[in-house]
Amino acid sequence: MSRADNRLKNTARSLREIVFDLILLVVLAIVLVPLVFMFTASFMESKEVLTMPYRWIPSSFHWENYVQAIQGNDMKYFYARNILNSLIVAITVTLTNCVFAAMTGFGLAKYRFFGKRAVLILVMATMMIPFETIMIPLYMLVNNFGWQDSYMGLIMPFLVNAFGIFMMRQFLLTFPEDLLDAARIDGLNELSIFIRVVIPNSIPAMTALGILTFRSQWDSMLWPLLVTQSEEMKTIPLYITKFTTEKYTNEGALLAAAVIASIPLFVVFFSLAKYFIQGSSVFSGTKG
Amino acid sequence: MKSGIEKKKARWGWFFVLPAIIYFSIFSFFPIINAFRTSLYRWNLLSLNPPRFVWFENYIRLFQSEAFWNSVKATAIFTVGTFSSLLIGGLALSILIFSRKRFRTFFQMALYSPAVLSTVVAATIWLLILDPRGLGNSVLNAVLGTSGKDYQWFANPDMSRISTIIIYFWKYIGHFTILFIAGLSSIPYTIHEAAIIDGAGPWKKYWRITFPLLKPTVVLVCVLSLIQCMKSFSTQYLFVQSGAPRAPIDVLTLSIYDTAIRDHQIGRASAMSIILFLTLILFSWAQLRLSRSEEVSFQ
Amino acid sequence: MKLKGMFLVGILLICAVFAATIELTVWTHEDPNRTLLEERYIEEFQKLYPEVSVKRVTYPSAKIKETVLTAFSAGKGPDIFNMEVQDEYPYIVNRRVAPVNPAALGYKNVEEIYAAYLEGTLDPVSYQGKLYGVPLEITNWCIFVNTRYTKALGLDFENNYPKTWEELMEVSDKLTLRNGEIITRRGFDFRYPYYLTIFTPMVEQMGGYLLNKEGTEAIINPQAWVEVLTFMKEWGPSGRNLGSPTYTAARKNWNKDDGSIVMIESGLYQILRLKAENPELYESKEWMVIPWPVFENAVNHVKGNYYGHYYVVNAQSSPEKQEWAWKLIAYMLKHTGEYFEEVGLIQPTYELMESEVFKNFPYANVFMEDMSQAGCVLLHQAGPRLEQLIREAVESVMLSGVTPENAVKTLKAKATEVLEDY
Repeated sequence: MSRADNRLKNTARSLREIVFDLILLVVLAIVLVPLVFMFTASFMESKEVLTMPYRWIPSSFHWENYVQAIQGNDMKYFYARNILNSLIVAITVTLTNCVFAAMTGFGLAKYRFFGKRAVLILVMATMMIPFETIMIPLYMLVNNFGWQDSYMGLIMPFLVNAFGIFMMRQFLLTFPEDLLDAARIDGLNELSIFIRVVIPNSIPAMTALGILTFRSQWDSMLWPLLVTQSEEMKTIPLYITKFTTEKYTNEGALLAAAVIASIPLFVVFFSLAKYFIQGSSVFSGTKG
Repeated sequence: MKSGIEKKKARWGWFFVLPAIIYFSIFSFFPIINAFRTSLYRWNLLSLNPPRFVWFENYIRLFQSEAFWNSVKATAIFTVGTFSSLLIGGLALSILIFSRKRFRTFFQMALYSPAVLSTVVAATIWLLILDPRGLGNSVLNAVLGTSGKDYQWFANPDMSRISTIIIYFWKYIGHFTILFIAGLSSIPYTIHEAAIIDGAGPWKKYWRITFPLLKPTVVLVCVLSLIQCMKSFSTQYLFVQSGAPRAPIDVLTLSIYDTAIRDHQIGRASAMSIILFLTLILFSWAQLRLSRSEEVSFQ
Repeated sequence: MKLKGMFLVGILLICAVFAATIELTVWTHEDPNRTLLEERYIEEFQKLYPEVSVKRVTYPSAKIKETVLTAFSAGKGPDIFNMEVQDEYPYIVNRRVAPVNPAALGYKNVEEIYAAYLEGTLDPVSYQGKLYGVPLEITNWCIFVNTRYTKALGLDFENNYPKTWEELMEVSDKLTLRNGEIITRRGFDFRYPYYLTIFTPMVEQMGGYLLNKEGTEAIINPQAWVEVLTFMKEWGPSGRNLGSPTYTAARKNWNKDDGSIVMIESGLYQILRLKAENPELYESKEWMVIPWPVFENAVNHVKGNYYGHYYVVNAQSSPEKQEWAWKLIAYMLKHTGEYFEEVGLIQPTYELMESEVFKNFPYANVFMEDMSQAGCVLLHQAGPRLEQLIREAVESVMLSGVTPENAVKTLKAKATEVLEDY
């Protein structure tokens, strides 16, 4: 192979890399445009949001959009409380989900017992249930427990999630048996093994699962709509829907509310992104 | 002696699994069995009269109804469209990102960021973008060199289908990419290296070597995303709320919701959801079956 | 003696416990102005009757249907609620709401209630000889015009406003501004998708009906339907491109006076919303209300349907709760004048109609004139499904290029199928 040949190959490669980079950047731009739109338009007057062609930089910054979003049209600051509710619900559900998913997944991955296959099939089947299907029976149930308009009502139906169990099982299948055996020889019982050995070694996987759970709870709309009645118990999506339908809301303030709603998620995600990306290998299935 | 240990371990197995099983019996199995029972009745949600047991009449009527088949079609189009674009897009992007040395994490995070927004927020943004006077038309007019053309993002039946698919794609492409990259990373480096030494060109390498090894990832992601797509509800719901014609995007979940909530016909709605439930099980089972026969392993 | 005393104390305690347990829940749609009023009334009511505690809950108007329905299907409905009357109708037919209690409402008998309200306005909540609710508001829509734009074009609406749909179309065409195909200012646009409120009366003007009198047959006189759909086709993007259901709801922008819409359909309450949201435009008097148009060759001179919100009471609440519920409703609704002045809600009592406040209110006469020629929105268990079918027909004609003839054929076939379910 002559040197010239090599150089040609190198230029070809770098050319290819440039093309790849360009494609990536274009895709990235397309993906990010709506986010940029949300952010810039949240400072605009409603008239400006729908001007053609769109002005990427607001002609003047209307900070009062944010004030309006936080105060609400009734000046009662329910949004702060609703954000708090969303946080309480999402964090609780995320924690219980991770713990139960790890526990059940551990049971399914590392123990042999009668009926295990049936349990696995049941867990899989639970994943397929469309929420709309069980909405009304579930509502009656929650009502019978007296959980209307309470954190219990918002949290209980989502305490354990089949998807999480399935994922943690996939992950724990590859958990080194030696580690468990070593702990057994040290005299730990199975529960302590789970707490002291399995959990600390599953943090990335649980983080990944946690982010997904947090996200879907943050998103949840239909169920909170049914179980909450008082403004104090409502969650962010309900506030935004309400804010949208109110007559005094302008588009800028609406987007300001949307930006506020997104901030906690961005914080959670970006601070844990490393774990999330690491832990996603759990979901890749190659380990199963 | 050994059987004693086994027995003990089995008991521990149940100990770990039992809480979830009890939980699911109350919050999932009980409601779904309830839904199945309901599907055998002609039942008006508001009526105080006892519902009438009609065996499988609800199912028979559904299979004869044009609206139901339209919903099946809408669901199929949405699922196939979203699913295939996510799969192809995700694979392509993951390979692009994986082949770079720097900024891998940055690209993954940036692509994932739309998924961080909640659906209500995403819908709020997109409804403004797809408004006839919104950003969607401006951008497309600029790119395609047309002037003042209305691309009818909601109005045109085909466009409204495409719009829902775009929103879904936008939201989930990052997640898919991350999953595929995770899959790519788990392929031992030596295999890549071997391919290069063998002199395989980059594309050949992907198709011959990487792709087959990625297959388990692809299958699992497919199962999960297929379920996700077929259960999609809120995007279509918000579209219809804001004036888009219903028929092209009347997916099964939307139809279930309306049959129950708007028409009060809980029996028929339950029948529809049982059908959806069984279809989901069937699909996932088939996909897992198909993949198992050619499972790859590398030692 | 001692024993007797203890016994008395016991009775009193029991009474107190029971008395404190009357807890009423009221579910209603969001309406910030009305919330202010009603929360005040409820507070006063609770002071008056300390044994009653009231929990008032508001839902977005698009969502209240599903929350009430889910609650009722679980047997946990609120004691008092209100929705649009066509959505309340199934609750009446299925006996989920209770007949009124005239005594608790402060009337001698039911006849006296009927006598207090304008003739016909209680019919929507009368079923099989019984009365099930009292109106919180009754609304019909006229046309609101921003005259700044009409004047700029030299149109003199004060003396010559469009009286027919055809004239309205001509005027709109003049007022509409576009950037290519994209409309940047609409002259007038319909209030989609309230087709049972705006579309069926247009059909009725041409001599067609949605249902026959018995409610057994759908799409009467298809030719009339074809004519109105042809008008809509002409209105839409494939015709003269004056508007379409996919633009932002017109009434949202009208108050803002942002130059995107000149004329909208709305009720009297819009005036007070305008006053609150855009006092500048309100004070400028550069707006007016004109009657709802009629087709040039109309055979029936009917106006846009009216709809209403009626307070109703859950039939499954205990009799005691029901009685208190009616008392609370009576207490709130006796402030008819305030509801009207503060929120713009018309509770059609003779007392209000004859009051000076009402007579002097801007454009009240226009609304009442139209109301006298208006019917009530369709009350039928299949109502929402039929509205959906009409929506599909209109959209297929306006947006998907289906011919009006074919759209009517499909509509008739589907509507007939729907009726079979009831």
